[in-house]
Amino acid sequence: MTTAALEAIKNSAIERIDAIYIGNVCAEILHHQVQLGALASENLGLTGIPSIRIEAADASGAAALREAYLAISSGMIRTALVIGVEKLSDGLPEEIVSITSMFDKYEYTGYQGFTQASLAALLYRHYMERYEVSQENIAQFPVIMHENASTAPHAQYQFKISVESVLNSPVVSEPLRRLECTAIADGAAAIVLCGEDALEGNRDEAIEVASVSMSTDFVSPFDREDPLKLSAVSIAFNDSLTRAKIDRREVDIIELHDSYSILAPLILESTGYSQEGRAGIDAKNGKYSLSGELPINTFGGLKARGHPFGATGVYQVAELYLQLVGQAGKNQVDNAKIGVALSLGGLAATAVSTVMRAR
Amino acid sequence: MVVRIRVPPNWRAKQFRYRLIVYRCDNCGTIHQWPAIICRKCRSTRLRQSQLPHIGKLLSFTVVRQAPIGFEEFTPYIVGVVEFEDGTRLLTQLTDCEPNELMVGMEVEAVVRKITHDGQSGLIIYGYKFRPRIT
Repeated sequence: MTTAALEAIKNSAIERIDAIYIGNVCAEILHHQVQLGALASENLGLTGIPSIRIEAADASGAAALREAYLAISSGMIRTALVIGVEKLSDGLPEEIVSITSMFDKYEYTGYQGFTQASLAALLYRHYMERYEVSQENIAQFPVIMHENASTAPHAQYQFKISVESVLNSPVVSEPLRRLECTAIADGAAAIVLCGEDALEGNRDEAIEVASVSMSTDFVSPFDREDPLKLSAVSIAFNDSLTRAKIDRREVDIIELHDSYSILAPLILESTGYSQEGRAGIDAKNGKYSLSGELPINTFGGLKARGHPFGATGVYQVAELYLQLVGQAGKNQVDNAKIGVALSLGGLAATAVSTVMRAR
Repeated sequence: MVVRIRVPPNWRAKQFRYRLIVYRCDNCGTIHQWPAIICRKCRSTRLRQSQLPHIGKLLSFTVVRQAPIGFEEFTPYIVGVVEFEDGTRLLTQLTDCEPNELMVGMEVEAVVRKITHDGQSGLIIYGYKFRPRIT
């Protein structure tokens, strides 16, 4: 965390940080630590400034970014450091399964032994039944993620996989396979945000955060009117486009929250990029590949770059930054001007949509 | 000692877990699995207790193989979504059957079963599960 934060501060050429916002999920459960705000300010030698931890399940990082964005927009502060951090490898696998079961309503599903993977699997089967889609189509998404991660030096899994290897990987919760889920990951990402008036140093390397919108939905997906429509995603996404005054067709890159393979089509269909039941077929036809019409998860997304919960939302935005300043190396998308990061809490009970625009 | 199962929240949930008593909105029909004083959908304050049907249709199901703490000894176990005639859905474990006996659309019925237990505090948690309809 300290490494990522210090590097972000150094690269930003901002001399004074006014506040710190930290996205994190598991600190009290895995590390017996609360008050991460003060702890981070101390570790960074920034004691004295306001610093707070934000939690919204695995949308925590994006939610922290939004708080920083709001504070700067209000004029109360001029600069902020946003950090996402998680160290899941300190926990046993069953502890991590237990923690993610808290993303749903514990007293309704957690006490019955439901896991996030099982809830995603229930959506998955329902999706395949309703739209008469085969698993091979959904399995395209992890393949794209690993393809993109294979050339990303910061990715957790820098190798390619095939549709066959996804479909032959062990069953986690049928129909969901192991290569359709994220693995336990550690990670930290940091960004420095500032108002236009506080922009110092190299202005060419600054990217505009054009809007950050958030929405919520019923926590448990089958309580929603239509479990296959992620209304929090639609609302946050549309609101962020309206605020940034851009059209959906102007977006060059989407970073989306593929904590389970099935979430990729659900997000792409809830944002209108694919028709209902068609996202997997679009993926198969190359639409969402790095060289396609709308590249997604250009460094491998949650599946292959990694999913350290509270850090994930900050990673997404940091990766869009790399794309928009042209520092994405082998993963560079040509002429990328506008990127959107879609971060979810659990199975889209929280959604945060961040629009980034090259200046 | 880590307290995994606490008495008060289980006591509070007993009507729902043992008898499927929910709070239904008089205005829009939305159900709440906890004692609600305002409807989560339409914000009406006209809510009343009602009991969910004991028979419904299976909308989706899967198997938990990697269990959370406290459920390791029960793996693999089946979980699913039951949809009742009015469209209300309920998440539940499925029991008294194997996964290959289940089909989307089949009728299932409610039963009371042990859900889990906490060896250290001696608590046993009971609740509803559903099984393929036999009555």
